[in-house]
Amino acid sequence: MTLLEISGLTLDLPNGKRLLHGIDLTVSVGETVALVGESGSGKSLTAQSVLGLLPSGAQTSGQVLVEGSDVLTMKPPELLAYRRSTAAMVFQDPRAGINPMRTIGDHLTEALRLGEGWSVARARERAIEVLAAVDMPRPHDHLRQYPHELSGGMLQRVMIAGALAGSPRLLVCDEPTTALDVTTQAQILRVLAEQRDKRSMGLLFITHDLNLAASLCDRVYVMNDGRVGEEGPARQVFLNPETAYARRLVAATPTITVQPNEVPAPAATAPGPAVLEVRDLTKTYRARGREPVHAAKNVTVDIRRGDALGVVGESGSGKSTLARMIVGLERADAGTIAIDGHTLKGQPRKRVDRLDRARRVQMVFQDPYLSLDPRMTASQAVEDALHLHHPRLRMADIRTQALTLLSSVGLATTQAEALPRTLSGGQRQRVAIARALAIEPSLLVMDEATSALDVSVQAQVLDVISEIRRERGLTILFISHDLAVVRRVCERSVVMRAGEIVESAPTIDLLTRPQHEYTRLLVDSVPRVMLVGGNT
Amino acid sequence: MIIRRVVGKLGSLTLTLVLASALIFFSRFMVPGDPVSFLLRGRQPSPEAIAAVTEQFGLNLPPWEQYLRWIGGMFQGDFGRSLQFRDEVSTVIGDRLPVTLGLVALAAVMILVTGIVAGTIAALNRGRLPDRLILTVLTALGAIPPFVGAIILIAVFAVQLNWFPAFGSGDGFFDTIHHLILPSVAMAISFIVLIGKITRMSMVEQLGREHVQVATSRGLKPLTVVRRHVFRNALGPIFTVSGLLIAGLLVSTAIVESAFGIAGVGSLLVQSVNRLDFPVVQAIVLLVVAAFVIVNAIVDLLQPLIDPRAAAGEAGR
Amino acid sequence: MSRPTPTMALKVMRSTGHRRVTVSWTISIVVLGLFTLAAIFAPLVAPYNPDQLDFGAIYANPNLAHWLGTDSLGRDTLSRIIYGARTALLAPLIVVIASTILGILLGLLAGWRGGWIDAAIGRLLDVLLSFPALLIAILAVALFGKGLVAPVIAMSIAYAPFVARLTRSLVISERARPYVSAYRVQGFSGGWIALRRVLPNVVPTVGAQSTLNFGYVLAELAGLSFLGLGVQAPTADWGAMINESQAGLVGGHFLPALIPAIAVVIVVVAVNVIGEEISERIGGGTPA
Repeated sequence: MTLLEISGLTLDLPNGKRLLHGIDLTVSVGETVALVGESGSGKSLTAQSVLGLLPSGAQTSGQVLVEGSDVLTMKPPELLAYRRSTAAMVFQDPRAGINPMRTIGDHLTEALRLGEGWSVARARERAIEVLAAVDMPRPHDHLRQYPHELSGGMLQRVMIAGALAGSPRLLVCDEPTTALDVTTQAQILRVLAEQRDKRSMGLLFITHDLNLAASLCDRVYVMNDGRVGEEGPARQVFLNPETAYARRLVAATPTITVQPNEVPAPAATAPGPAVLEVRDLTKTYRARGREPVHAAKNVTVDIRRGDALGVVGESGSGKSTLARMIVGLERADAGTIAIDGHTLKGQPRKRVDRLDRARRVQMVFQDPYLSLDPRMTASQAVEDALHLHHPRLRMADIRTQALTLLSSVGLATTQAEALPRTLSGGQRQRVAIARALAIEPSLLVMDEATSALDVSVQAQVLDVISEIRRERGLTILFISHDLAVVRRVCERSVVMRAGEIVESAPTIDLLTRPQHEYTRLLVDSVPRVMLVGGNT
Repeated sequence: MIIRRVVGKLGSLTLTLVLASALIFFSRFMVPGDPVSFLLRGRQPSPEAIAAVTEQFGLNLPPWEQYLRWIGGMFQGDFGRSLQFRDEVSTVIGDRLPVTLGLVALAAVMILVTGIVAGTIAALNRGRLPDRLILTVLTALGAIPPFVGAIILIAVFAVQLNWFPAFGSGDGFFDTIHHLILPSVAMAISFIVLIGKITRMSMVEQLGREHVQVATSRGLKPLTVVRRHVFRNALGPIFTVSGLLIAGLLVSTAIVESAFGIAGVGSLLVQSVNRLDFPVVQAIVLLVVAAFVIVNAIVDLLQPLIDPRAAAGEAGR
Repeated sequence: MSRPTPTMALKVMRSTGHRRVTVSWTISIVVLGLFTLAAIFAPLVAPYNPDQLDFGAIYANPNLAHWLGTDSLGRDTLSRIIYGARTALLAPLIVVIASTILGILLGLLAGWRGGWIDAAIGRLLDVLLSFPALLIAILAVALFGKGLVAPVIAMSIAYAPFVARLTRSLVISERARPYVSAYRVQGFSGGWIALRRVLPNVVPTVGAQSTLNFGYVLAELAGLSFLGLGVQAPTADWGAMINESQAGLVGGHFLPALIPAIAVVIVVVAVNVIGEEISERIGGGTPA
């Protein structure tokens, strides 16, 4: 039985810009449907239109039928009743989505009390019931808590509980796990699937993650530029995409699934001498009134020349702190870091030390929007670095060299003159890479360098990285939360948790034969499509 | 947790007060020349008067001891003696304090009510005609300093229409209110923009928050959403700015009381500057600064009532 | 007149999102330009000597000889407005420039160095901020005597904390950005990054915000003269003109007091419109 039927939905902004070009989509009772797309594809807008949450002044045409009535033409009281009892939505960021100044109990019960006229006691009972349904440990106590007292994963459960409180028949989830760690994501997905089955709700699941869509959902719609490009059973879309865009998307999506005949990729060059030797590195953050945080506990890492080592971990595992200590942005409490056999001091102060450190190690940062100076053009950014390290070079030569570097990462001369704000995320990250290469470091540290990018852009940047490795034999320390990305880049990886390295092995082995239980949990938590058998 | 917060705030408050009072006290030492002739400028002091002033200010003591005597006296309600009135500074100020406080209170109420109402209406209509209208009016009002407001109000409402008195502070409750309305309006005009714009800004910011969208998606009425999720959350900055307002109002009394011939602390300050009565100036400056610091400390301490995160010490201000 | 912390004021300005490059902007520029020119070329522009008494034309209504009428001593109001524009514009300009430079230095030092330097400067700013600007100015007059020199110096100090706080918060948020870490990793020194890269990113926003102080300072200094503590008679000054003409109000002679009052309002509005527009443009330019 069809629960949601969107047909010919278009949406125009007041300025005449059309964001949705005729969306057709259906969700049946008990069915899970994924809406997949990159940023700007219109997937979130489509989701919001199901709840009648449209940008102010937007013009729509077409229909959004839920149980036969059109959401777009409902009168205000009807729409309010519809939102309270028929459809509900789970938003991406629970930290932003739950009012920080009101209690969890208030969040869960206000629609029931103020909208449905329930008594406080009855609403409270329902709140406790839904909190228990999403596996919150102490439903009674949580009612009195404020959002800042709960973790992100816990809060997302609260958000789901809030959506369930009105017993909706259709649940719309807009990237509900994107802000969460992969192990937490797995728990949330389990809760969602459980509740869907128990309540036989229809589930419309918006995500950028094709693996996640294919592993959780029955059918998948792939959106691109305000249109549905492809639709079909999840496995089919994932394994045999028909349209060009879907094929590109699937190809760009990294996966941790290992083909049975796959062998570890050989290292770029023959094993050489160690470039990076980290020994027993330890760092503890102590804040007054808080538990000390161990960002690094006796971390020991080696990378040989030309190798790429992955560091995988969830948030708070200390992987970024490790990177910052290696490049000299933070000082270790104990332990040593040596590059090319030369032991580095904590934080370089003198000019000679700073330049020496810079030539040994460079870094590419996560956020391409903030890692470039907003006032400096792409080529100025590179020229700055060149000028510092080659003060006697003539400006004309510096400029030529900068343009060569930029073109080696795939940026045209016209883009070299552009300020960061006119460049896309992928282009900015290329500038950041060129800037790091300008100094010709022995080691390049990349801290979540592709995490902020859409998958297709990420794939391009990853290609740039592997090209550079091939050409320059660069040694890389690649830090990421994403096992699938690490697997594309790194032959060897280490897994970090709470400042400790729990396992170190060839990446393929980590994925196929994880030894440590945490590695196993991490690998099992990553959503993937089973090559044989049904959906998980 | 709460106790630690209060103690911490009190410590910080005390330190600020001590530093501010020292600044006020030692400012006198920046004036070149002999302190006695500074304090007795414009007067023909008899040797007895010089001796009295030297004794009163402890001018023959080392500076820090003079400061301690001064601040110690303050704590016992001894603000020294006025040079113009031949009376205790505390008595002189005490007589004039009620009318000034009444003026400030009246103006504060006007500012808060109109500012919050205007800001709320503007925020809920952001980008549309009422919003632009309100912003324009607020900007225009913001450019009318109290003395200009006073001139215009006197010309229109006191002289031309003769609705309100142009002078004095009246006797009895209603007469006093009648006398204080024009002065408090003159004072309020330029500050409405402050509260109005902060209200608008804070509410617009909250309106754009995801939790408002979540509340809407739960089927709550738009007005309920505004009341429970927008206005309530927007209160913090409004509250903070209201605290800062106090200082501005207290100083504005100097101008408004002079313009309307009201015998309050503000006009006393001006009069004392004119009559070279430094002890009174010093005491009033200290009182205004102390009032400002204390009010803002109270506002700060009350923040957790609005925002539970402030109590946990992680609220971004 | 006290104001909220600059960051708040900044957000206030930014939140007035719609763009009106427009009539109000053009008019404001023209108005301010006219007043500036009149101030610079006062002796050429003014029809009379501003101090010239004419007991034959006391409280004259506007006429062909005296376009804006005369005051209680028969002095030409227009000429006095034109001469008064000199102090009205110059004094706030000095205050704004001095407080901006002082504030940026303190804010950069506090925000960039952090630690005890930040704590010490923060405490100093807290103390200074507890003195409303007009109060410091009055105290300065009480200490150093009437006139504008002491108040201008006092107000430069009184306004510096607003600038310093804004600068500090901007510097801290810039410092936390990865582009600054990237400069460090490339081997640049902290001082170079702070002065050559962070400062230029911060100055436009701070400068735009400072222009908004101009109106406040103008109003406060005029207020000081209105109280008889600033510019002294017989020098032509808008605040002093209102002060001298206040007595005539009760007698129904509004113009000699109202005209300088209106001049204050017009200039403050013009300056604020320009300042808000600049803030908005700059706010839109750099992500903050």
